[in-house]
Amino acid sequence: MSSALWPHLVEGVTHVVRRPLRSFLTAVTCAVAIAVTVNVISLNYGLDEDIRNDIARFGRLTIDVGRSPLIRPGAARAVFGEPELAKIRALVDGLDAVVVPLRSEQVTATGDAEAARTVLAAVTPDYPRTLDIDMAAGRWFGADEHGFSVCVLDRSAARSLFPGPASAEAAWSARSALGRRVRFTGGEGREAVVVGVLSDPMTYRSLFESFDEGRGSRTLVGALLSFRSAYVPADAIPSPDLTMVHVKLPDEARLETARRRLETVWPASSDAIRPDVIAPVTVFTRKTWMDAAGNVTQTGAFLGNLVWILICLVACIMISTLNLVTIRERYDELAVRRCEGARKSHLVAQVTAEGLTISVVGGLMGLPLGYLGAEVLRRIVSFPFRFDPRYAAVAVGVAAFLGLVSSVVPARRAAGLDPAAVLTRRVT
Amino acid sequence: MTEPIVRLEGAGRVYRKAAVAVEALRPVNLTVHAGEYVAVTGPSGSGKSTLLHILGCLDRPTCGTYRLEGRDVSALSDADLAAVRNRLIGFVFQRFHLLRDETALRNVELPLLYAGVARGERRRRAAAALDTVGLSARTDHRPGQLSGGEQQRVALARALVKEPRLLLADEPTGNLDSAAGGVVLGLLEALHDRGVTLLLITHDPDVAAHARRRLTIHDGVVREVPTGHAEIAAP
Repeated sequence: MSSALWPHLVEGVTHVVRRPLRSFLTAVTCAVAIAVTVNVISLNYGLDEDIRNDIARFGRLTIDVGRSPLIRPGAARAVFGEPELAKIRALVDGLDAVVVPLRSEQVTATGDAEAARTVLAAVTPDYPRTLDIDMAAGRWFGADEHGFSVCVLDRSAARSLFPGPASAEAAWSARSALGRRVRFTGGEGREAVVVGVLSDPMTYRSLFESFDEGRGSRTLVGALLSFRSAYVPADAIPSPDLTMVHVKLPDEARLETARRRLETVWPASSDAIRPDVIAPVTVFTRKTWMDAAGNVTQTGAFLGNLVWILICLVACIMISTLNLVTIRERYDELAVRRCEGARKSHLVAQVTAEGLTISVVGGLMGLPLGYLGAEVLRRIVSFPFRFDPRYAAVAVGVAAFLGLVSSVVPARRAAGLDPAAVLTRRVT
Repeated sequence: MTEPIVRLEGAGRVYRKAAVAVEALRPVNLTVHAGEYVAVTGPSGSGKSTLLHILGCLDRPTCGTYRLEGRDVSALSDADLAAVRNRLIGFVFQRFHLLRDETALRNVELPLLYAGVARGERRRRAAAALDTVGLSARTDHRPGQLSGGEQQRVALARALVKEPRLLLADEPTGNLDSAAGGVVLGLLEALHDRGVTLLLITHDPDVAAHARRRLTIHDGVVREVPTGHAEIAAP
């Protein structure tokens, strides 16, 4: 910026201060737009970022091989047991893979409360390595622990089984489940002590469950995301049948190699969805699913962006109109400035500085308004509205842009003014 | 003989709107020398304001040339004309045209802002100009807090602060009572005595009588009232 324009920018800021009521009213328009913007951006990108973080915890480098969730009508249930496990081990040999067989049943579990449709999963001690989820409390079971001696619960399962007093619901701690006993249906002696609680990878579990209601348990992904399981040592369910085999690879290159090798024997789950090629056993690469899920959230983010851009556009038109009216009322003043030696560039600088100052002040006013709005919305609707300072900073940038854009037409009008015509009232 | 401040040679102004052309000022020759006090009289719509706008570099003649201090300003760019107005010409208007949200001091500072004068220096010179017109006690007053006569004196101080070579006054007493008008005319007289070149536009013969030289303008034609030493002729 030319230093010669600096006094005229200061002149613009001074003018804003001299007309506090008009400046305030214009700033309020900007503030409302920014309050909406900050909420929509926070919701948009905040939710998107949280979902991506959540998804990333599901184990990006893990491949699941298991029975297809779809069965051709009349077809026999696929065989998936020790021979298939041996085949998988052979296919990923030399890739430093961790192979974890999983046998599961759907049971009713009982602790302090009863939890129907709990997935009882019998796994080896390596199972946590197939995920990127921390322990919320306690530990995972070791190789020296067998049968129904110990169990680990998903956090949501632990909360269902040991909810604690209703009055302390908000302060529920995963630690409160440690050392407690859980009984599982399906046979005698199926009772285990809780030694650990796995963290919940889902930031917005209640939101997800409301979206997923009625379908989650029927799909492979839904089952994966439900995280309402109880884990017991592998020998607790001595069935020859396997539900799934998890294969964790050390890096993406070896993940790709493993995927290709496994798909030479079993098709990818995406192919299996085609009715003409329903396969009994499928390979599910979590990375592929995560990338696809990420793209879905991007579409949501695009729509959200469209909303705040439209709102800002409307605000821009409103502020621009207000500025134009103001400029029209200031024809005499601007003509006098031209008489006294103001160049067109001086008036453009002044009017732009006025618009910029008002919109930035409006933007800053919009931040507490946005915060308040987020708080109110959070109480009214069960959606994760929140106020994020990073997005607030973006919103102030948007406000500045708004001020610049809405000053373009008024500044041009001011610069194009013919002072002689104004002073002789040929232009009013 | 020294170069005149103002030299119009066949300068006229035609306004065009669609197919209609209105000749607001017929081509005129006019010369004004440094230190002159000239009054231009004429009825409303006679072309007085058009002449003032051309002389004040607010408008360009559509024919002929205009030399200000020897420099042809008829074809200058908009930015150059702004610089000429800022450096050489002072304006006083009938309706004062003060910035209503600004103090008297800030109003007087205005031309210096566009001349690139530093803030401290602007303040000092503006205060001195207000003192010249007898308003040193009113520096922090806004136009709404001043009488009409005081407002016109602020406008006069604003015109003076840049030490113009030519002061153009358009009906400077038109909105004032006789007492306030008398004060303003007295100030103009004092400025003339200090060597400022004055060109006063008025329809009031009593006001025009203060000038040393008088011109009349009627239907866009400028004529000399034969009492002074100006040269004026149709081209």
